Amino acid sequence: MASYDEWNKVDDDDDEELQDASMFEGKRDVILFAIDCSESMLALHDDPVYEDVQTSRFLTALEAAIQIQKKKVVVGPNDAVGIMLFNTTRNSEPISQGVEIKPGSFLFQPIETISAPKVQELIQLVDAARGDTSYLKETFPPVQGNRMAVGDVFTSCNWIMRDGAPKTATKRVFLITDEDNPHSGPGRDRLLTAARTTLVDLVQAGIVVEPFFISSEDKLFDLSKFYSSVLLPTNIIDDDEAEPGVLPETVSITRIEDLLDQMKFREVPKRALFSVPFELAENFVIGVKGYGLVTAQKKGSYRYFVDLGDRMELAESRTVWLQKGGKEVPKDELLSGMGLGEAVEGKNTKDRIDEDVKHMRLTDIGLQTFYTADEIRSFRTLGLEPKIKLLGFKDYDALAFEDNIKHSYFIYPDEMTFSGSKRTSNALLKTMAKKKKIALVLTLMRRNATPVFCAMLPQAEVRTEDGAQSDPPGFHLIPLPYADDMRAVPEQFLDAERASDELTGKAAPFVAKLAVKDGYSPDSYPNPALEFHNAQLQASAFREEFDPETFEDLSLPNYDMIHKRAGLMMKQWKEALLADDSATIVVASSTGAKRKAKTTTASTSEEEVRGFYQNSELNKLKVDQLKDYLRSKGLSTAGKKADLVDRVSEWLDEHSG
Amino acid sequence: MFLVDVSPSMGKMREVEALLPNGETQTVEMTNLEVALQFVKLKVQEMVRMCGSYGFHILTIYHERKTDQCGVIVFGSRKTNNHVNRKQGGYENVDELVPILHPTAKTIAQISELNPAEEIGDPLDALVVGIETQDQYLGNKKTWTRKIVLLTDGENPIEIQHLEKIAQRLNDLKIKLTIVGVDFDDEEFGYVEEDKSDIKRENEEFYHTLVGTLDNGVVGNCTAAIEEISRPESKQTRSQPSASVLRLGDVENHPEEAIEINVKISKCTALVRPKSFKKFARIGDEDIEMQNPGDDSEPTVEYGQLTREIRYAFDPSGRRDDEEADRDAEEETEKKDDLQDVEKEELIRGYKYGSSFVPVPENNFPKLETKRGMEICGFFKDEFFRREWSIGEVRYVFAADKSPLQQVALSSLVEAMFQEINGKEIMYYAITRWITTDGSEPKMGVLQPVKDESANYLLWVQVRASHMPFADDLRKWSFPSLDQLVNGKGQLVMTHPYLPTEEQLETMEDLVDALNLMEAGEKDEDGNRTPWYDTRLSYNPAIHRIKQAQFHAAIVEDLNRQPLPPPHPELLKYFEPPRRVMKRARPAIDAAREAFNVKEVPKTVARNRKDGHVRARDDGDDTLLLDKQPNKKIKLSQTQSQHVSRSQHRRVSPATQRKVPKRSVSDDSETEPEPEPKDEDEEELLLDKKPKQRGTSAVPEHDHMPPTPERSVSPAPERDRAPGRIIGTTEPLEDFYKNIASGDLVTKAVEDLAFVIRTIVFRPFSAKRTDELLECTRALRKVSLEEDEIDAWNDFLRDLKRRCLDDTPGNDYFWTRLSDLGRDMSLIGQSEAERQGGRSDVSDAEADEVRFRRGVTRPQFTDRIPSSWQPAWLIDLA
Repeated sequence: MASYDEWNKVDDDDDEELQDASMFEGKRDVILFAIDCSESMLALHDDPVYEDVQTSRFLTALEAAIQIQKKKVVVGPNDAVGIMLFNTTRNSEPISQGVEIKPGSFLFQPIETISAPKVQELIQLVDAARGDTSYLKETFPPVQGNRMAVGDVFTSCNWIMRDGAPKTATKRVFLITDEDNPHSGPGRDRLLTAARTTLVDLVQAGIVVEPFFISSEDKLFDLSKFYSSVLLPTNIIDDDEAEPGVLPETVSITRIEDLLDQMKFREVPKRALFSVPFELAENFVIGVKGYGLVTAQKKGSYRYFVDLGDRMELAESRTVWLQKGGKEVPKDELLSGMGLGEAVEGKNTKDRIDEDVKHMRLTDIGLQTFYTADEIRSFRTLGLEPKIKLLGFKDYDALAFEDNIKHSYFIYPDEMTFSGSKRTSNALLKTMAKKKKIALVLTLMRRNATPVFCAMLPQAEVRTEDGAQSDPPGFHLIPLPYADDMRAVPEQFLDAERASDELTGKAAPFVAKLAVKDGYSPDSYPNPALEFHNAQLQASAFREEFDPETFEDLSLPNYDMIHKRAGLMMKQWKEALLADDSATIVVASSTGAKRKAKTTTASTSEEEVRGFYQNSELNKLKVDQLKDYLRSKGLSTAGKKADLVDRVSEWLDEHSG
Repeated sequence: MFLVDVSPSMGKMREVEALLPNGETQTVEMTNLEVALQFVKLKVQEMVRMCGSYGFHILTIYHERKTDQCGVIVFGSRKTNNHVNRKQGGYENVDELVPILHPTAKTIAQISELNPAEEIGDPLDALVVGIETQDQYLGNKKTWTRKIVLLTDGENPIEIQHLEKIAQRLNDLKIKLTIVGVDFDDEEFGYVEEDKSDIKRENEEFYHTLVGTLDNGVVGNCTAAIEEISRPESKQTRSQPSASVLRLGDVENHPEEAIEINVKISKCTALVRPKSFKKFARIGDEDIEMQNPGDDSEPTVEYGQLTREIRYAFDPSGRRDDEEADRDAEEETEKKDDLQDVEKEELIRGYKYGSSFVPVPENNFPKLETKRGMEICGFFKDEFFRREWSIGEVRYVFAADKSPLQQVALSSLVEAMFQEINGKEIMYYAITRWITTDGSEPKMGVLQPVKDESANYLLWVQVRASHMPFADDLRKWSFPSLDQLVNGKGQLVMTHPYLPTEEQLETMEDLVDALNLMEAGEKDEDGNRTPWYDTRLSYNPAIHRIKQAQFHAAIVEDLNRQPLPPPHPELLKYFEPPRRVMKRARPAIDAAREAFNVKEVPKTVARNRKDGHVRARDDGDDTLLLDKQPNKKIKLSQTQSQHVSRSQHRRVSPATQRKVPKRSVSDDSETEPEPEPKDEDEEELLLDKKPKQRGTSAVPEHDHMPPTPERSVSPAPERDRAPGRIIGTTEPLEDFYKNIASGDLVTKAVEDLAFVIRTIVFRPFSAKRTDELLECTRALRKVSLEEDEIDAWNDFLRDLKRRCLDDTPGNDYFWTRLSDLGRDMSLIGQSEAERQGGRSDVSDAEADEVRFRRGVTRPQFTDRIPSSWQPAWLIDLA
């Protein structure tokens, strides 16, 4: 079998759309955790989960950092992370020749691509801290008296980033502190101004600060005491996207227990997939950006490495086009045509198929028999330029459940390409939501994509009680299937039997009883296959044993709850079903285990097979009979007779009730 | 059976319009016969297997049916070769060119070979031969559909005899006769040939009469028939339903309560992609043109089909990933010089865990053990369904066919999912975990119950499943609120250019109402208008266009002479809103356009930096790069056109074709009323900026704005910045350097500084700031030169000059001061650009000239100008 990547590599011009998610794989994300190490962060309190264990906010922050690193490493293996502590008296080594970070801060892990040893180092630290509650305090003694100036914290971050982060990466600082008023004493104003100035420096270096402020019931974190003056002025009204400044949206005020959840939201930096004009009508165009808010997260694929003795070096793959004899053809000399699979002789052309079943064509010079890449692209796009074009509005329920083919995109106005985009989007959003309308649009997302019709759903902004945004304002863009993508109902299912009202009446109670409150909640379902794979990958990287027993699949139904709530109703429904008249209609070999129908064909009946099975004589059946039976169960019919017998008996083992 | 007229009249040349990829039409000449053959070849093609049979590509087959067979008979040929003639004589000049068979590519080639002959053939003779040949071949096989297609221009006499007999025979054998006439009049198609010859008019009438006597016959225009062939038609794919089990509850521990229903799952939607082309390239060196062996006709070139291979290479220098990631995307496709190729066999499979290497164990990591089936986890009410979470194709879930018990079971479940609560109809969805086969990865989805009626008024039930995201699949990014804008004091702002006004909201409501599509479609049986746009009638234009192109390439010999005809109108029918709606909506659109007054912000030119870095930008800049890449684009198409001319002879080089002027929104602004001065606030700064060509308006509008004070006063730092600008008017130079130092937004910084300079220069009292502005301009030029923003500088300078000197109020003083700086402030010419490794489209002479044309009146300049520069401006002076 061809290796994974050969099957999954796609042609540039053939399958642009497949590359949706992979577009940004080359782009790296760098996170510097800046964790406050002050007395209050180190103060011990009872662990909310484990009894008789004490923990501190600082420790929780470190644990969150571990989790984020573990998650990031499998999602973006090139991403880099660093950890800086501040408000500690421990001094750092110079980070590079002659560059020292500000006193009060300590660089615990410089910015580096995440690796197993780094994560393990952190885990060991946390383990040690768990065992000895004073360990952290001794290792990273907190400053006494005056806190480190916030401006200096930012400066240290800036230097560390400059030293360690690659130029192209998105650079973010996760600032974690529980002190809402770090400079209450004299000189507050001066320190505040300094903090603001150094933050501006950071922002201009392309670094985004995403604060996580820890709030508790005893001490609510009050932004207005200090940080609102530092953080807010850079982004009032002023265009938020022009300057990757500190947006109010990026400020999280959280309980320490929720720190990890808050961080998970920001684990992947926000990146647009496309930026196109949205044409509402002729000469009425606004700018929008498209984001992928819902994208199936796949397992990382394996790569190829070269063993150089002392290290493993990654081998990069690329697709080449080869002539007969192995000569590589440059990309811009490629032409496209049809392989005829057969030699054809024309007036001025002569084709031949050579021994490698390769198609050769001889033509008069001056004839054009192939298409160029530009032409192929124009066939795909039908001459459209990338844009979203409004065609009109439909009622909300005109969008059917089954009109779906792939994931949706999220559209948000872009004031930077067309001024006035925001007010127009805002008005459109409000109007569509009010009138319960969806928009029908024609979309070409990228230059090499194919045109696709989409339904555009208005999404009003939704905020939770505590003011956090749970749904951003904008539009969902749902690609609609074409006639070519739709399949009719196969005929054999057209005239199925119907249940009586009485039977339906018995099913209704358990449906209602098993209803969950708020609908499908993705948060409740981490992808088990992905987690299972990643857990093994991590164990292997850490050189640890992986115990599959410890793995819990959260996507399995909660059986206990189901049976406790509705078990009895389900049982009654089953009894009624078997008593139902329609159940006795016999068509052909039934697959149901509950009721045996007489066979009308020569193939082996359910009873017969079961008979052989009970007598352990399955191997007396013929291969054809075994296959028929397996087929009727929808099971594979591959393999030798012994395999078939095994498979049948396995199925009957499971369905012997 | 195809009967093709090859009489001399078919050799008449005609002009055919063809649509080029750039949207222009081109007229090409071809014979009537070629047009007719195009129809035959397209028809035959549908029967031919088009395939490439190697590599891992699956066969590409269009409508392949073994039982599609055809034969071709020509009439008018010199040769007489048909079995009726052999049997009984007569029927001359009728040639059985292709015996009946399942056609192949060879058949198409044979058809292409046809040339107009010298003789005149009788179509009725050919028809008789066709009928008999077909009948002889099929014998008494009843199940075959018999069709005869006769292609002619109708310019030759027909000997009309035994007509009734022929018609009788056609009807007896249930043959469908199609007459495809070149330039036949066709009412439906809307074609009437002018100055038609008498004989043709008569013949056309004859064919209509003939067809009239048949049970199954039709006459049509050839061009119309060709268009009809390219009408999209979606292939009905039947997917094999797979068996599964729908479960509720724990089968193992609570067998008496747990429910299991045998179901079959089949596809409801499945994404179809366009078929791919095979790749070819010219073989041999460019200058060697092979001589066709055997004769001394034109020189020939040879093309060979290519095979694809994955190559591996690694970097032996062991550079860190940092640098690797800094590579430009463009370079990625090209082989790096310092990479070392390596055979795949020598490679070891591994995962990357950050920078750590994790070997892939034999047979990979064990997979999660899963059991085939659909497990219902719970139900929920339809109001909670989030449509935008559907992330994949939709499936039907049916009860197993031939199993009434299972059908009843599923039916009762489906019906039970429709309930009435407090008088309100609600529908439950089921949250479901689906495993396709034992051991495969679980997917989460929701099941929607469906009650539908089939033709015989029995209800059939099905459930539709749509794939839902896992927690890992959802990105909870937040976006700035569109409503809640906060000012510096943390207060909510109620009016702002970002917020729509009442008036704007009203125009939007009108617009949405006016563009209603719910009653914009065709009328149904009862005369009520249906909604416009139906997924079931929308064909994927890319698929069908590419298919058309593939068919076309296979049947023509020279795409220059016979370019691909335009796409079938059916493909484009939903590309524009319905005309009726648009007409009605015009006033609403005009009102909204005016009310919202959206203006395009000049593009920041994304380009490749010479130092090889693409700096970290805000996400949007990325996509700008990916989408536009103007510089790269041009470079690419230039090289491409060179190669193209080398590899194929083209009508127009693609580089020039592609240059379709980009329509800018502001082009239309001339017709719009000028914005009212009262609307004008800081935002207008930005809006005004766009129509450079009408710069006059920009100045007076700013008159009432107080001049920005000198830097001693400290206003709120942000107030002076126009929305979207990163450089303010208060301390432009400082802003500029800050941005340049951070390195992210050089292009933007250059553009914005240019904007700010222009803004300040034309403000009243700007003279006070002249020195500062000159300093800014100097910095702008320096950075432009170093950072490859040369075009931006040159454009800026030309524009500035024009405005200073030609516009009112202008600023002569500033321009004079600027000119005094001499060469330091000139346009950047080619040689200067090259010294910095950049490129300029301004010649050195022009660089000197434009700068100094005015300055020459001031003699003191000449002292400063090195002698080598003199000629350009001296000539100008003369």
